[in-house]
Amino acid sequence: MENVGLEMFLAVSAVLFVCGVVCMATKRNAIGVLMGVELVLNGANLNLVAFSRYGSLGLDGQVMSLFVIVLAAAEAAAALAIVLAFYNNHMTVDVDQATDLQG
Amino acid sequence: MSVHSILNHVLGEDLPRSLEVFAPELVLCATVVLLLLWRMLDLHQRIPTCWVALFGSLVAFFGVFAQFMYLKTGGAGVGGLEFLFDQWRLTPSGVGEIGPYFTGLLVHDQFAVFFRLVLTLFLVLVTALTILTGIPDAEDGQDFYTLLIGSTVGMLMAVGANHLLMLFLSIEMMSVPSYVMVAFQKGRKQAGEASLKYVVYGAGIAGVMLYGISLIAGLLGTANMPELGERFAILMQGEFFSMSNTTALTLVLGMMMVLVGLAFKLSLVPFHFWCPDAFEGASAEVCGFLSVASKAAALALLVRFVLAFQGTHESLAQLGILFGIALGTISIITMTFGNLAAYSQTNLKRLLAYSTIAHAGYMVMAVSAMLVILNSPSSSVGVGQAATCIEGLMYYVAVYLFMNLSAFAIVALLRNETFREDISSYRGIISGSAATKVLCVCLAISFFSLVGMPPFGGFFAKMMIFYSALQAGHAHWFLWIVLGFGALNTVFSLFYYLNVLKAAFISEPEADAAPVEVPGMAGAYVLLVTIPILALGMSSLQGDLTATAKYVAASLFQ
Repeated sequence: MENVGLEMFLAVSAVLFVCGVVCMATKRNAIGVLMGVELVLNGANLNLVAFSRYGSLGLDGQVMSLFVIVLAAAEAAAALAIVLAFYNNHMTVDVDQATDLQG
Repeated sequence: MSVHSILNHVLGEDLPRSLEVFAPELVLCATVVLLLLWRMLDLHQRIPTCWVALFGSLVAFFGVFAQFMYLKTGGAGVGGLEFLFDQWRLTPSGVGEIGPYFTGLLVHDQFAVFFRLVLTLFLVLVTALTILTGIPDAEDGQDFYTLLIGSTVGMLMAVGANHLLMLFLSIEMMSVPSYVMVAFQKGRKQAGEASLKYVVYGAGIAGVMLYGISLIAGLLGTANMPELGERFAILMQGEFFSMSNTTALTLVLGMMMVLVGLAFKLSLVPFHFWCPDAFEGASAEVCGFLSVASKAAALALLVRFVLAFQGTHESLAQLGILFGIALGTISIITMTFGNLAAYSQTNLKRLLAYSTIAHAGYMVMAVSAMLVILNSPSSSVGVGQAATCIEGLMYYVAVYLFMNLSAFAIVALLRNETFREDISSYRGIISGSAATKVLCVCLAISFFSLVGMPPFGGFFAKMMIFYSALQAGHAHWFLWIVLGFGALNTVFSLFYYLNVLKAAFISEPEADAAPVEVPGMAGAYVLLVTIPILALGMSSLQGDLTATAKYVAASLFQ
């Protein structure tokens, strides 16, 4: 375990971040986009925890990541409710079908 | 330090002071709980929930007002003010003392209190508007006001953010309820779509912003905003600021990610896609709230964030100039795009959404000018000129509140009569009842003020911002280009506003349209929010607000 340094954690979190962004950009399913958001948030969380362990961020990093976990849950709840409302009106969760408002 | 001593320290000194400063927010939180209980205990049959919300927000407004006056007068209020100070138990060591509170997560200063005053006033006015238009019906009232007040609490925290965690939390706290508010009219197909677009963009950008925050916090080893600049200067000791320097590059990347989040809230191009769609799908009352309150809070947060990176070190100055010019470029694109896109709109809410985008561009111009002035090596400009930029910004926000609220209130009130929001439904409405005529005149006043015509408040607001850009031009020529685009855009914007006014005042009504009869109360409300636009343009209040803005701005740079 001793050879695992900060760089390894940052690399994993960067991979998570990029996966999340790619997922948000390419998925056409609204739920899929929200899953991409979770990946990005957890990538950032991993960063914060790693910096608090290896860097000089201290407990701040861990506290921040705890808050982010709570917030991500709240945001996911609101977002899923909205997706459900969209589904009730449009009978689909494909974001490409959201074309009524344009201009 | 043991847990016991930490607790002792926190409870001993910080907590009483923090609670004193935070009291208005606590009142709003209590109102939210009360609203939810109200429904549970079936009290809403007797007293509708809207009155509870109005009462709670009025109490919070007076709380912030007392704090503002306490700071301004130094605690020497007379008459009614003294009564207010006593009621809120304000003390010289509590509200009277500037500085961070809640162990440094939030900061209490004149700038924060000014924006909190604007936001709570706006909350009161929006609540009154929703009572008039009846947009949340009696059954849904408590849900709507819970979201509205919850979002406002987030904004109140945003303007005092002093820690990167608060920056993220407050942005999320004001966003999440507003996603739901956009979707509030459940049956409408457009509302669902607007909200879906808003939430998908918003959630994605929040993630990017958090990643940026984690990079900044990790690189600089602190998340406390006042320390960020200092830490960066230490890291850059003896190194040259350039894009090939890893430390500088990482910080610029992190800051850019955070600015993306703020640009989304401010609907700056190219992060504006949600704005017209969300505005078209949401009800006009919610649009008014989004266009004023969340803009004002995000703007205050932007100022706080960029000011965190001020310092005497050479690399900080270069960083400031870099971001000043970047914000200036965004400001040019945003103004021009917003005004050009507004031309082809047929829906008035969509048109106002693009006008909101353009105005965000004008406001960011002031932040850009401030950054360039503060970091310029030339001695012709200094902190005094930077304070002028913030002064202009605050004047703009104060006038913008009334201009946009008046415009959206008119859209909402006319929608209640005609059930339409397209510009052609405004044709010839001047021939309606007396209250409708009042609405038409107020629409003209608010639109002329949005263009920036003298003698309305919008003219002075725009002039102050343009003046600050003119001064910043002495520090860096680029700001003169920004200023030129700003002036050009003011001329552009005149025509699409006039187009709406032409429909209302000159065009013949549509053949089968009945004359529009809005209730007298609606006319009275719109008059109430339009009079300040006139008063801030051509009465002694104009001087008063300028003096207040000057005093607040000066305190930010002490």
